[in-house]
Amino acid sequence: MLQDLLNEQKKLFSPGVHTELRGQKNRNRRVILLSGDVLANVRSDVSGVSARVYRGGVWGFSSMAEYTKEAAEKVLKAASENAAFMEKHAGNGKPALTPFIGSRPFIMEDIHDPAQKVYVDFAREVDGYIAAHYPNLTSRKVIATEDSMEKLLKVSDGMDAHILAPRSYVYVFLSAETPAGAPVELFRAFGGSGTFDVNFTDPSALHEGIDKLYEQMMQKREGIYADAGEKTVILDGMMTGMLSHEAVGHTVEADLVLGGSVAAHNLNRQVASELVTLTDFAHTAFGESCPLPVFTDDEGTEAKDVTLIRNGILTGYMNNRESALHFGMEPGGNARAWMFSDEPLIRMRNTAVHPGKDKLEDMIASIDDGYYLINSGNGQADTTGEFMFGVTMGYEIKGGKLGKALLDTTISGVAFEMLKTVDMVSDQVVWSSSGFCGKKQPMPVGMGGPALRCKVKIGGR
Amino acid sequence: MDRITDIAKKILAEAKQLGADYAHCTVSENEKKEFNVDGGQFSLMRTLFNRNIVITVLKGQRKGTVQINRFEEEAVKEAVADAIAASDSGKPDPAWEFAEGPLEESFEEGTPECDTDRLFMRTKELLETIREKHPKILMEQMITEHSAERTVFMSTNDVCYRTRSGSYSFSLMYSAHEGEKSSSFYGSDVTLKTLDKPVIECALIERELAAVEQQLDPQPLEGKFVGPAILAPMALVEIIIETIMGSFVGDVGLIDGTSIWKDKLGQEVADSAFSLSFRPFSEDVVAGCRYTGEGYPAEDYDLIRNGKLASFALSQYGANKTGGKRAGNQSGNMFIEPGKDTLEQLIREIEKGILVMRFSGGQPAPSGEFSGVAKNSFLIENGKIACALSETMISGCVPEMLRQIRSISSDTLKDGNVSLPYIAFDGLTISGK
Repeated sequence: MLQDLLNEQKKLFSPGVHTELRGQKNRNRRVILLSGDVLANVRSDVSGVSARVYRGGVWGFSSMAEYTKEAAEKVLKAASENAAFMEKHAGNGKPALTPFIGSRPFIMEDIHDPAQKVYVDFAREVDGYIAAHYPNLTSRKVIATEDSMEKLLKVSDGMDAHILAPRSYVYVFLSAETPAGAPVELFRAFGGSGTFDVNFTDPSALHEGIDKLYEQMMQKREGIYADAGEKTVILDGMMTGMLSHEAVGHTVEADLVLGGSVAAHNLNRQVASELVTLTDFAHTAFGESCPLPVFTDDEGTEAKDVTLIRNGILTGYMNNRESALHFGMEPGGNARAWMFSDEPLIRMRNTAVHPGKDKLEDMIASIDDGYYLINSGNGQADTTGEFMFGVTMGYEIKGGKLGKALLDTTISGVAFEMLKTVDMVSDQVVWSSSGFCGKKQPMPVGMGGPALRCKVKIGGR
Repeated sequence: MDRITDIAKKILAEAKQLGADYAHCTVSENEKKEFNVDGGQFSLMRTLFNRNIVITVLKGQRKGTVQINRFEEEAVKEAVADAIAASDSGKPDPAWEFAEGPLEESFEEGTPECDTDRLFMRTKELLETIREKHPKILMEQMITEHSAERTVFMSTNDVCYRTRSGSYSFSLMYSAHEGEKSSSFYGSDVTLKTLDKPVIECALIERELAAVEQQLDPQPLEGKFVGPAILAPMALVEIIIETIMGSFVGDVGLIDGTSIWKDKLGQEVADSAFSLSFRPFSEDVVAGCRYTGEGYPAEDYDLIRNGKLASFALSQYGANKTGGKRAGNQSGNMFIEPGKDTLEQLIREIEKGILVMRFSGGQPAPSGEFSGVAKNSFLIENGKIACALSETMISGCVPEMLRQIRSISSDTLKDGNVSLPYIAFDGLTISGK
C-alpha cells in the first residue's frame, strides 16, 4: 500500500492555482494457457508520481517513475513550468476552475497480492476440466488475470483521496470447426471487482458457465449466417451495455461534445424512445454495488451518478471540472487517469440503461422473424453516433421461438435513431466489466442494461 | 559503465544466483514531451520521465516474466525473485529458446534530442494551416510528441544490444462540421525523424483532410450489390493485414492449429501482384526494431512474395512448437509493393463500387470472414466519386479477396512506420438501407 509521502508537498502548491498531485501504483498479474502450454506468466508493478497545474485555461503536467518526496517536488516544478509555457504561448483566458469543497478524505482498505502460483494453479485446473470434458475442441485458451490501481491524491481545492480499485477475471476461449472445416471461436469472462484470491476460490464454480459456453459453441459450429438487412432484434443485456457505452456514452463525454459529437446539438431533445433512461452510475445502481465502483475522481471531485437520458430526452453530459464550468453543469466525478503518467480524462464509470417491465420470454415470443443477440466481441462508435458491434453469439427467432445459432456477424446503426425504435425493455439488468475502454489511455469500465427490442441493421455474409 | 547497463548486469547475476538457467532483461529510460489540442484549442503540455525493467527467466525450461519501473537495488532484487517464483509455478516447455552470443551491438535511431520550441512551432503551424485551408475541419484531438529512449537488452547467453532512439510523432483525430451536419471522425498519423518541413505535407495528411471535408453530406446506399471496393491504406490494415497477422501466420493460430494457412507455406495465397514484407531497416522507417524479443538480430523479411506465402510470422518459441522457421523480425513495419496506376486510375476503372477510407468491424474471424461498417467512404459510379456514404456495410472473406485483386495503386502512405498503397478488390458484398 502506498505510504502518504505527498501531504506535506501540498505546501508547494501555488496559492489560487488549481493543482493536483497523485502517487499511483498499477499492478497486473497474467497467466495465459494455450491448449495447456503456459504462453505467458507475467507480473507487472508500475508506480510513480505526477502533478497537473491549471493556468489561463491550459494545463501543465509532469510525471516521474519514482514515488518519493523529491520526485513529487520535481514533477510539481515541471508541471508548473509547462503550465506557464502553455499560458504564455497558447493561453485562452478561461476563468479559474470552481473549487470543490471536499466533505472528507476518502480512504480504502489495503488489498491482497496473491502469489503467481495461485493464478497458474487456478488456470491449470480450469484448463484441465476443459481438456478432460471437451476433447473435440480444436483449441482452448485460459487467461487468469488481475489488474489493480492504487492512487493517493492531493488536490488544492478538492477532495484528497486514497483509492484502491482491484479487479480480476478468468477468460475462457474455446475453438472448434464447422462441419465445412471453418474455425469458430467463443469466449466468456468470469469475475469482476476484487482481488483474484477473493473472486476465485474454487475452480469448479466455473464449470457450469464453461458447460454453457461449450453448448453454445456446439450450436454455433452448426450455425447459419444472418440474413443481411434491417431487422427487429432483441439485444440482450451485454449488448445493451455495449450500446450504452460505445454508441451513446462516448458521444456525451463533454470533451467529445466540444470536439463536435452529435450530442452537441441534441441536449434536451428526444433522442430515444420514452422507455429509455440511461445513467452513468458512480458506485451504486438499482440498490446494489456497481461492477467497478468509483467514489472520487482524480480531480478530487466526489463521484455522483450522471443521468444522460431520462425517458428518451438527452439531459446531460459527463464532465470534468473544466467542461462542467463551460457547460454550466455540475461535475459528477468522471475525470480519471489510468497510470501515474496519465492525466485525468473524462471517462465513463458504470453506464447502464434502466430496466423496464417486460419479460424476456414475452419479448422473444413477440417477434415473428428476427434475431436474439447475446454477446459481443467488440464494438466501435463514431462521434456521429453511428456504431458497429461484433456479434459472437446469437440466435435467429422464427415465429416467436429461438431457432438456429448465428455465425459471427455485426450490427450497426445510428444510436439516436436506433434508440427511438426501442419498444420493449426487459426487467433484468446484466452487467459486464472485464474489458478496457480505449481513449488515449485504457480504463476499466462497467456497462450493462436490460434486454431491448429494437430495429438494427445486421450484416450477413 | 552507465547506470542502465550496470542494472542489467546486476539483474542477470542475481538471476543466476537464484538458480535461473537463463535470463534476459530490458532496462530503459524514456523522456517524452507532448502537446495536446482538444476541440481545436491547445489544452495541455506534458513532460514524462519514465523507466522500465522487464526481466525474463528460464528455470528447468519454465518461464517467468516480471515488469517493474523502479531502479532501486532492493526493488530490482525483489523483481528477480518474483520472476524466479513465477517460473517455479509454471510448466516446463522445451520450446523456449533464446539467442546465443557472443553478440554485442549498439544502435542510434531517429532523433534522440528534442527541439521543444520547434515541436510547438510545427504543432501551432499545423493547427493554423488546417484552420485556414480546411475551415470545416474540427480537430477533436491532436497529440504531438517527441519520445526519446535509452535501452539495454542483455542476456546470460552473452547477447547485448544498446539502443539510443528518438522520434517525433503527430496524431490527429478530426471530423468536418457545418451547422448540425458532420462527417465521421478520421485519424491521420505520422512519425518523423526531423521537423524540417510543415507536417501537413507529410504522409497523406493533406489528402485525408480534404477527403473528410467532402464527407459532410453522406448519403445512405440503397439496396445491396456485390462489387469492387478500393481499400485505402488504413482500411487495408484493418481488414486484410490484421486478419492475416492475427489469424493466419502468427504464433497462436499456428500453435493451436486454427490457422487456415498452416499448410500453405510456399503456395499461392494471393494474386501474383501482391507482396507483403516487414522492413524495419527501410529508409522509410524512422526507428525500426533491431532485435527480437528473444534476442535475435532483426532482418527484413517477406511474408508474401508475388502471391506466394514465403514465411510465417513466428517467434522462435512458435517455430519450435510447430517445426517452422523463426521470422526475421517482430512484424511491425509493413510494406506492400505498390502498383503502377494512380488512385484516380483505380477509381476510373470501376463502374460501381466503393472507396473505403476506414473500417469499423468485428474482431477478425479465424476463417477470414468479416463484416462491418465502411466509414469515411465514397460511392464510385461510372469511374468517378459519386457521393460520400453513410450507414454502408461491407462483408467478404480475406483469403478470397487476396485472390481477387483488381489493381494496386502507385500512391502510397509512408508514415514513418509503414508503406502501403490503395488496393482494389473484387467481390465484396456492399449493403445499404
